[in-house]
Amino acid sequence: MVSENLVKDVVTEPYKYGFVTDIETEKISKGLNEDTIRLISEKKEEPEYLLNFRLNAFRKWQNMKEPNWADLGYKKIDYQDIIYYSAPKQKEKISSLDEVDPKLLETFDKLGIPLTEQKKLTNVAVDAVFDSVSIATTFKKELAEHGVIFCSISEAVKDYSHLIEKYLGSVVPANDNYFAALNSAVFSDGSFVYIPKGVKCPMDLSSYFRINSGDSGQFERTLIIAEECSSVSYLEGCTAPMFDTNTLHAAVVELIALDDASIKYSTVQNWYAGNEEGVGGIFNFVTKRGKCLGKRSKISWSQVETGSAITWKYPSCLLLGEESVGEFYSVALTNNLQQADTGTKMIHIGPKTKSTIVSKGISAGNSVNSYRGLVKMGSKAIGSRNYSQCDSMLIGDQAAANTFPYIQSQQPNSEIEHEASTCRISEDQLFYLQSRGIEFEEAVSMMVSGFCRDVFNQLPMEFAAEADKLLALKLEGSVG
Amino acid sequence: MQIIEEIKKNELISNPSEIQKICLDKLKLNPLPNIKSEYWRLSNKSKFSSFLDHSIKNKETKVNLPYKKASQNIIRLIIGENNSINLEKENYSIKELKEIEIVDYIKKNIYNSDQNDHWSDLLNHCLSSKENILGLNISGIKIPPLEIFSASSPDSFNAKTLILFFEKNSKVDLIQINLGNQNSSLSQSTYLCLEENTSVNHGVVSYGESKSNLLNSLNVIQKANSEYNLGSLHFKFNYARFEIHINQLDGNAKTNLKGIQITKNNDQIATYTKMEFNGPNGFLDQINKSLADDKSHAVFEGSIIVPKIAQKTDASQLSRNLLLSRHAKIDTKPQLEIIADDVKCKHGATISQLNEEELFYMRSRGLTLAEASKLQLSSYIQEVISSIPISKDRWDLLDKILKENNGNN
Repeated sequence: MVSENLVKDVVTEPYKYGFVTDIETEKISKGLNEDTIRLISEKKEEPEYLLNFRLNAFRKWQNMKEPNWADLGYKKIDYQDIIYYSAPKQKEKISSLDEVDPKLLETFDKLGIPLTEQKKLTNVAVDAVFDSVSIATTFKKELAEHGVIFCSISEAVKDYSHLIEKYLGSVVPANDNYFAALNSAVFSDGSFVYIPKGVKCPMDLSSYFRINSGDSGQFERTLIIAEECSSVSYLEGCTAPMFDTNTLHAAVVELIALDDASIKYSTVQNWYAGNEEGVGGIFNFVTKRGKCLGKRSKISWSQVETGSAITWKYPSCLLLGEESVGEFYSVALTNNLQQADTGTKMIHIGPKTKSTIVSKGISAGNSVNSYRGLVKMGSKAIGSRNYSQCDSMLIGDQAAANTFPYIQSQQPNSEIEHEASTCRISEDQLFYLQSRGIEFEEAVSMMVSGFCRDVFNQLPMEFAAEADKLLALKLEGSVG
Repeated sequence: MQIIEEIKKNELISNPSEIQKICLDKLKLNPLPNIKSEYWRLSNKSKFSSFLDHSIKNKETKVNLPYKKASQNIIRLIIGENNSINLEKENYSIKELKEIEIVDYIKKNIYNSDQNDHWSDLLNHCLSSKENILGLNISGIKIPPLEIFSASSPDSFNAKTLILFFEKNSKVDLIQINLGNQNSSLSQSTYLCLEENTSVNHGVVSYGESKSNLLNSLNVIQKANSEYNLGSLHFKFNYARFEIHINQLDGNAKTNLKGIQITKNNDQIATYTKMEFNGPNGFLDQINKSLADDKSHAVFEGSIIVPKIAQKTDASQLSRNLLLSRHAKIDTKPQLEIIADDVKCKHGATISQLNEEELFYMRSRGLTLAEASKLQLSSYIQEVISSIPISKDRWDLLDKILKENNGNN
């Protein structure tokens, strides 16, 4: 059929971030043991408690088994064949952006990430992480005027050690799961955000992760703390070059919201997904969790997942505070041989807590796209509510769309609603649009965009535009 | 786990039949299901082991049937009570299956199945002796409704097997009643094979006495243009598991499933359904309800599998749950696995308590709280039990349940 072929053309668009930056890097040798961890810790001049945190996590990790419950198939990861620390070689310490290797800046320019502070118009502060190390954070001064701390985790360890010691691992403990334990042992860098009491962060904060080398894993850690009555919107983006080996990415993100605080965390994930035969691509195993500790606190996750060969990711909310709110908005697109097992966990512990889940999965090619989510009402979650909606769209008859919602309730005075549906791009709708003079590709793109609208509406402006473009690129081919 | 120990030691059955031998050999290697698997992880371990803590009794006392045989127009059979049947009428025929047919059919099923998913059947075939297997071949129309009983005797473990072949173009109403006696365990495995153009209305009513356990497995194969309607009710068991496997072999078939489980005290009742569409144009409408009170635990897991071949499948699954007590627990997991793209599949799940606005409305019109909640409950239950065939006129299931429920209020 003509339209079937067209859909095929439409879903094959080359990955445009697949270049490698030729830059001198400092790497440690492959392999993982206690010495590796001591070396990383030493290189980063870390205090003893952090080294102990790492070693403790490593020992626990050694006794853990890689989880196999997800609907994913991939070749076994050799954890001894990975470089656990890789950093662009540069002068001892960077005092301003001018000292950053121009090649690095060029890389981020190519990716469309504004690192030079002249580009103030965008009003987004960026922390750029290249391989294992954060290379630059913009708008630091402006943020400091408001008392907002936005820096790399390594800097935070040096300058705000008390906060790190208090909060690191408080949401995702070192032994939480296999990949979180691995990350806790070897994490190299990441972003740290602290919003003081009563402060509404004056601009969006953003971190940009870039994997550059093919044989090193990326293990970043993000920690965001929103004090009482504060609010922040945080954006995260990621890309990687094309290699025909698989690169491991195991990140941990921890969010803490105190009374009346709100955190909005948006991700556009576009790691390299491997080629059409499924060679190469990033293995993305991420633990993201937010703790609504305070009363009326709110944590909102929104994500657009289009990359990675394997995605294993469940951004979750622990709703402890009375009347706290958790939200999860997700669009996951898989194509070719990509596999995604993603969803969320909403654990209602405190009374009158509310959560909303909106998940849209689009599967094309030979990919597998699974939604896996847990909604749990604890016995004290009186008057709590959850609403979940999971929709899948199938393109072609080779892709799989699965839905695995786990629903548990121990509180009669709470309500859980879940609904899921599956659809495809219907011939009728296509015909209608085409008969009104709209090109085929544009019609497909319009329908996909309409399908995802509930989620895109939740994304910050810049991201919404980017996400729309990204989906269009992934699906549109000639039009994009 | 007395039974498992005996299986391991090879002391369970003195003179096993061919099927029993095959199943015993399989179970000896791997006697228990994987309790970490999705299919078993929610099963209460101590209750599960109490299910297996009985000696086997093959010669049982006569089943004491709770309902009088009111009508002559009903064919009543009791598994294990040697009631031979061979009817050849103008419109229909009901014949017993030959032993070889039964053996072949069970063997075929054992070889093709995954041990973990079909552990209940494997155990059943190990323990159910020839006398406790009832196999029938049914054909024709205007067949009087069938009532098939299966019961455990007090303080023992019983295994019963039912195999029914429905010939082409037949139309049948069938009700299966599983009775759990005091302090007993019942393993019931049922196989229904629906040929083309058949229509079967199937009711399953299971209830027990104190400390009774039930492992109820139902396997249905549907050929093209067949229609299978199931209405099921499970209540009053210390531990009960209802496993339903339905396979639409060539698609083009219709399946309607309605089930309810009612748990009280410390009960655990679980329903697992697996629906496979192996051909195009399949249809499924499923609703499963749970009502959990006191410290009980109700579980529902339903999966719908739509492979590439099953284009134009229309499947919907709804799990509705009422949680009536602060100490009760409900787990539900309706899941979809879809590859075919031209399908309509949806599922939904809700957990809540009785609707307060409705209660308020009824009370403002003069009903007492007890009356109002009874009315609400009955409407909730009625939707399911109205689809259980034959029961309407003969048994007041609804009254029975409500009486049970009021006992503790």
